[in-house]
Amino acid sequence: MAFNFNWSPLIADTSRAREMLTIALNKSPKPPIIVDDIIVTELNLGSTPPELEILEIGDLAEDRFRGIFKMSYTGDAFLTLKTKVQANPLNTLLSTKPDFASPQPLAAASGLTIPLQITLSDIRLSGFVILVFSKQKGLTLVFRNDPLESLKVSSTFDSIPFVRDYLQKEIEGQLRVLFMEDLPAIIHRLSLRLWSEEYQELETEQRLDGSKDTTAPIDPLSTPPQDAVDAFGNPLDEDQIAALSLDPASEVHASFSQKNILRLAALSESQRTLSLFTPSIREAVFRAWANNSDRADSGSNTPALTLSSLSRIQSTFGSIKSNTSSVASGSTGNDTQATRPSLVSAYSGPAGLSLSANRSRTHPMRKRKKRVVNLRKDGTESSGVSTDATNTPFPSTNVSETASVIPEEREGEEEPTTPPRSPTKAAGGGLRFEGKHGSLDVGEPGRVVEKAAPGGLLPAAPLLEEAPKLSKSKHTQKSQSGVFENESKRSRPPLSSNRLRTAQQTTSPLLRSLSFDKVSSISSGSKIPLSPRSSEDGTASTGGILEQAWMLKMAHEIARKVQEEKEKEAVGQDPDTPTRRPRPRPQTSKSAGMLPRGGLWTDEEVDAPPAYVA
Amino acid sequence: MLDFMDHVQNAFYEASHWNLDNSYGALNATAKALLDFRTPRGLRLQISSLAAPNFATSYTIGSVGVVDGSVSYLYSSLPLLRPFKSADLDLHHVIRGYRHLQELRRPDEAWWWEVWHCGKRIDRRDTLLYGRIFLPRSTLEALYLRRLSPTRQLKISAVSDSTLNNGGTILALLQNDVGKYSTEYMYSTDSALMGVRGLYNFGPDPRVGSTSPVAAHEITEPVQGRFSAGAELYYGLLNKSGGISTGLRFTTLPNHTGFPYTMTLTLNPLMGNLSSTYAVKAGPNLALCSRFDFNFYSYESELQLGCELWRRRRNTDVEWAVKRLRPDWKRPTVAPDDDVSGILKARVDQDWRIGLLWEGRIKELLFTLGASLDLKRREQIFRTVGVELQYSS
Repeated sequence: MAFNFNWSPLIADTSRAREMLTIALNKSPKPPIIVDDIIVTELNLGSTPPELEILEIGDLAEDRFRGIFKMSYTGDAFLTLKTKVQANPLNTLLSTKPDFASPQPLAAASGLTIPLQITLSDIRLSGFVILVFSKQKGLTLVFRNDPLESLKVSSTFDSIPFVRDYLQKEIEGQLRVLFMEDLPAIIHRLSLRLWSEEYQELETEQRLDGSKDTTAPIDPLSTPPQDAVDAFGNPLDEDQIAALSLDPASEVHASFSQKNILRLAALSESQRTLSLFTPSIREAVFRAWANNSDRADSGSNTPALTLSSLSRIQSTFGSIKSNTSSVASGSTGNDTQATRPSLVSAYSGPAGLSLSANRSRTHPMRKRKKRVVNLRKDGTESSGVSTDATNTPFPSTNVSETASVIPEEREGEEEPTTPPRSPTKAAGGGLRFEGKHGSLDVGEPGRVVEKAAPGGLLPAAPLLEEAPKLSKSKHTQKSQSGVFENESKRSRPPLSSNRLRTAQQTTSPLLRSLSFDKVSSISSGSKIPLSPRSSEDGTASTGGILEQAWMLKMAHEIARKVQEEKEKEAVGQDPDTPTRRPRPRPQTSKSAGMLPRGGLWTDEEVDAPPAYVA
Repeated sequence: MLDFMDHVQNAFYEASHWNLDNSYGALNATAKALLDFRTPRGLRLQISSLAAPNFATSYTIGSVGVVDGSVSYLYSSLPLLRPFKSADLDLHHVIRGYRHLQELRRPDEAWWWEVWHCGKRIDRRDTLLYGRIFLPRSTLEALYLRRLSPTRQLKISAVSDSTLNNGGTILALLQNDVGKYSTEYMYSTDSALMGVRGLYNFGPDPRVGSTSPVAAHEITEPVQGRFSAGAELYYGLLNKSGGISTGLRFTTLPNHTGFPYTMTLTLNPLMGNLSSTYAVKAGPNLALCSRFDFNFYSYESELQLGCELWRRRRNTDVEWAVKRLRPDWKRPTVAPDDDVSGILKARVDQDWRIGLLWEGRIKELLFTLGASLDLKRREQIFRTVGVELQYSS
């Protein structure tokens, strides 16, 4: 992936920037020696663009971007200011002193204002820049530290060392203020103007698109009430379930109740708006609480990731969390998302402590902006060293694979919601390692799945029973496994339900973006279990993309049938809970189906079967 | 309008025979009074009293966005007998306008001040102590004034304020005035600023005038005006910067038969600033002033015009009777300026910045209404508006 920074248009027209700089410079109170407005007469950004090193990209889509850069600039930009200064030192001295004890000279303090021209050149900048861009909200650029390293001030008074030093000092001080406070505002305003004026039509179009996008995710959610099942015991939902239970397909998808969906929406909204209010959601566990499980997840995820298709799905899910409205075409979107984690991981992994420290610094900002998902992320990231330690085996063992594999892992860590994560991971560190190894060893996705699945699945079940809390993090579990609920209803089910919902909500737009190939691949074979959920969401959400939706539907159908078959088997096994039925079926069916095939996806669903057994 | 405490200090100078006008710093006092008057801002109330002839207190409360105030005390070793009640004080004492300079007075002989009692000299130097604290800001002003001799005065003023460098500043000023000339030496702790000022009055020396025999032609031709020249020099030891200026003044004396006028010319050779003022007292109630500044380095110029108008009540009912009165018949009046309804001061410069001041007395209250306008800024013509009220007993 590459970014194309176009420097030349910035050079072309600086009149507006000059105006804004002028305003900004005159805003703050000026030292008494400056007796007139400061006017920016010349601004040249030079031909040498600043060097940007991408440290982290937190959000990426066609119409939005959030990232952290390391910027260093040693170009030939220069800035010429014009103002008037008071040349009489007595005047400036006495102007700041109280009259009472002033000598009150008759005319010795009379002013002499001299026009002054200052040229700032040889500007050396280096610092960390946080860049947030969205077409609707414009461009926000913030310096995390004081970027000004050095600068050369040449003025009309260069021959007088006293004045020269004074000017140098004063101007550096002012510039620091400018960079830290005023420049972000200027850039933001400039970007807003740009997009509001020239791109207004575009913007409106995009708004329309945006509205579609927003509606799309809602659709899948709205459908589930029709399907009608809340996995965790809302009576209304259960009734619906009973009514709808005839249709197995519906059961698979509908693990959400309208109420909970609304609550989740409120929750995500509150996260988005920085409000401290978090709606209480029954039987829900927030990621921020589940650090242990997170790690486990990261470990366990890796095997799934090895499959290219799977990884894509995963990445899409992850991106969903970050709420990128995937405007990009399916393929590009997937790629970018996949790349995102890789960047992060590459950065954090090899960079060492200093980098990680940096990263942790940046997190708070991110946290604010992101939703629930982020909380967990932060937690894991902040304890970046520990997570790295767990990860390390991968890179070290399989260096060649690192590029592809590691990023995936990262994603898993950062975004626990990703579907591929299975209870097994949560269950124990040992499991996840196994999973990792398996995935790592196997060059081909198919094999990996097979290998990983048996290892992870079998051990996972007992672990889950023993420590259900650990497994909370997996959303997939609860929907899949009714057994789990029985065992640990309070903790686990809430987590899973929440996650599922969030995942579904978020995922739907992403799924849309998936290209046909992926969908088909997902639906076929081992991937089927995953696909039903995601695909359903996708269908609902897609709206515009009928074909894809249809494909997804088809995939679901296939998956459903497979599940049904397996379900029958599963039902026979556990007669305990009547309510379970709808849920267990998918799980069991999935797990059963999956296991033989040994798909990676089994990780998620695979867990369920062991639970059943237990 | 002068602050009460400034008024008291002026009374002290008068009582101790110190000529404030005979100083280079007061060279263009007239122009300053007519052109550089301060326009009040916000609302300000001052209640003050001269509780005893030697002791004065004053309380000020003001509101410019926030409420602030000040408390001040003054002690004078010299009893001050001027009327200070706001009801009957002389408005000319508190409203500075055209300064009509008087003949130079011959300084007191040193032995005039001597007081002997039982073979011992018991006289003391006249001293004035003054302190003022501004409350929310915790700024303290202090003044110590001592007449060292009939021709010498020491003035130490200090400001303590946490916002200043070193927490405050002190200015020591030693003034000598022998009538014919006056010199001042000063030192300010602020950047160790040192300064010298001197003023020389051409013309007869008041010290020798009375004793030496007067030539016949001099009697026939009384002195109608005075020409003065002066200079000042400052140098800051710490910041190695200084300032210099020279000035000339010609002013008419009471002997002058025409209308009084004052002309000054000051020059700052370092900064190339040339300033000339011309003030004229066109009548008992009207004074006009103009000032032209020019800088021959930057070619910047500035023109200011100002006027002072004393508005008196016309009692048309008795106007005709007054006119018929014999000129030597004096009507008894409660206060010297009882018929003054107000004094208008106005100034305008070439940028159409206007300052207006309306001062006067209502019953026993002294009031000052002021506004400064900027006609070039259409969106905000009124820069400041203010009212000040003073009451003293």
